[in-house]
Amino acid sequence: MGTNAVSTNARREDETGAAIATRDAVHTLIAAKRSFLVPMTVIFLVGYLGLTALAGFAKEFMGHKVIGAVNVGFILIAANYALAWALAIIYVRVANATFDPLTQKALAAMNEKECPR
Amino acid sequence: MSITRGIFAVILAITLAITYWAAKRTSTTSEFYAAANKLTAAQNGFALAGDWCSAAAFLGFTGLTALYGMDGALYALGPLMAFCTVLFFIAEPLRNSGKYTLGDVIRIRMQTRTSLLAVISGTIVVNFAYLMPQMAGAGVLVKLLTGISYNWAVIFVGASMIVYVGFGGMLATTWVQIVKAVLMLAAGALVLLLALATVHFNPLNFFQDAESRYGPQFLLPGNYLKNPLDQISLGLGYVLGLAGLPHVMTRFYTVPDARTARRSVVWVMFLAGAFFVATTLFGLAAANLVGQDAIRAADKGGNLTLPLLAQFLGGGKGTLGGDIMLGFVSAVAVATILAVVSGLTLSTSGAIAHDFYVNWIKRGRIEEHKEVWVARISTVVIGVLAIALGILVQGVNVAVLVILAICVAASANFPVLILSLFWRRFNTGGVVGGMLVGLVSSVVLAMIGPAVRGADAIWPLVNPTVVSMPLGFLGAILGTLLTGRDLANEERFERFSRQVHTGLAAE
Repeated sequence: MGTNAVSTNARREDETGAAIATRDAVHTLIAAKRSFLVPMTVIFLVGYLGLTALAGFAKEFMGHKVIGAVNVGFILIAANYALAWALAIIYVRVANATFDPLTQKALAAMNEKECPR
Repeated sequence: MSITRGIFAVILAITLAITYWAAKRTSTTSEFYAAANKLTAAQNGFALAGDWCSAAAFLGFTGLTALYGMDGALYALGPLMAFCTVLFFIAEPLRNSGKYTLGDVIRIRMQTRTSLLAVISGTIVVNFAYLMPQMAGAGVLVKLLTGISYNWAVIFVGASMIVYVGFGGMLATTWVQIVKAVLMLAAGALVLLLALATVHFNPLNFFQDAESRYGPQFLLPGNYLKNPLDQISLGLGYVLGLAGLPHVMTRFYTVPDARTARRSVVWVMFLAGAFFVATTLFGLAAANLVGQDAIRAADKGGNLTLPLLAQFLGGGKGTLGGDIMLGFVSAVAVATILAVVSGLTLSTSGAIAHDFYVNWIKRGRIEEHKEVWVARISTVVIGVLAIALGILVQGVNVAVLVILAICVAASANFPVLILSLFWRRFNTGGVVGGMLVGLVSSVVLAMIGPAVRGADAIWPLVNPTVVSMPLGFLGAILGTLLTGRDLANEERFERFSRQVHTGLAAE
């Protein structure tokens, strides 16, 4: 509806507006990804590299028995498997629910810029 | 042995039939390198599992756990964690921004010939460093399992991969990898079921039995990797190195979009992850049931642990059940190597034919049908070279090459890729700096380390990633800052970034 009202004189201004909309949409997507992925990465790096550091420097701690002969080390290894799988599922959910709609919006903004021609 | 040969002949017949079918569907460049981007998430997930799990994973993790306890379990966990990096930062951006290779991403981002050449070198070094031990391992393994000589085993493996890749391209490679992954998981499930039956389906008993037989020290870390920093270095190498392996990256170009790439990573995380968990249980079960002495007697490095365990669970040596189980697991081990070397060959062909010949020498000016032929010819050349190298390194300890491949991937390819995707100022100087410093520091530190020099090592760590990876990043950053700003490139980054995040092709 709005595009009908735009005169040919305002065309250039309108395109700039679309370009800005595109950039904003892409930046919103990148910002959303960043604010989600940074903590996710910190979690898995701390979890996994922490485990390798403990394996290297805290052998006694790793050897404490927890269930039968199973010690802290093996429990932490199992926890890391669970962590990796949990993060994968969380990532896919968030990506489907948040990133994909934002991507669609950004793509729509880009198309709008090219459509009038 | 005759049972192994029989089962393997069936697997070979299936893969050749697949290749025949795939060859008829492979005539364009996109079909050859990327299976025309038509794979589903599940197909690519299975293929990733088949592509990534080399013999080192299929046989090695079980053996390490059987002989060294917890260190084996730590080894097995690494690749699963690595797929977190791939899922978060690599799979989708790669799908969105490239065409067939890592070189494509850098070429589109930097648009300079120097940076393309740097990335081609990184890919070729990593792939050959990975391919050579696979060929040598194939020689030893096929010889042990089927009785044919080392040289003929290497020639057989090389010829098979030339046929798969040369005729059937990515489609044949993918299906060979899927067949292998299904077989590997089936063999794993069967062995696990039989092993659990020996401990009344309570896996805790594996640990209990191992402790009472080998003492609590067996279940502690540090039996294999003595230097504490080596544990961390190995972890870093895995988490970032796997993300920088070109033959894993190329798999993400076979799916239609980023969503499918994402879902395929989740598939591989559950498929391969479940198998990795099982290898830890297999290792403990083998230590208890087969015994470390018998394992060492069969192979010093423990690489025959899983076949031996399968034989024991089938009824033991000399029984029909034992022979069938041994034959089945051994045949899957050979299929494993074939699937991995095919993936490596295809990705190397991408670097040599697509990146180097077509885009570097010919500057992209080549007809479609010619490019496919160049790719096929390069496949044959790579295959012949791999056979020659495989025969040449017989008896040489090639384990260091695996470490080197992962280390270079983590220290050179990974920093360059990640900075290309996400850093606006990153430029050609950075690509060259990162590749050069990452490559040289990995090679030099591996050469003066214990993996090559043994007790005379000048440098203490087997796996140098903990040092070479930061050096690679430093090289990339300094290279960027020292060569001055490339304003046209920074200008382009806006559009490139749009492509990375949304998948909209830059025209």
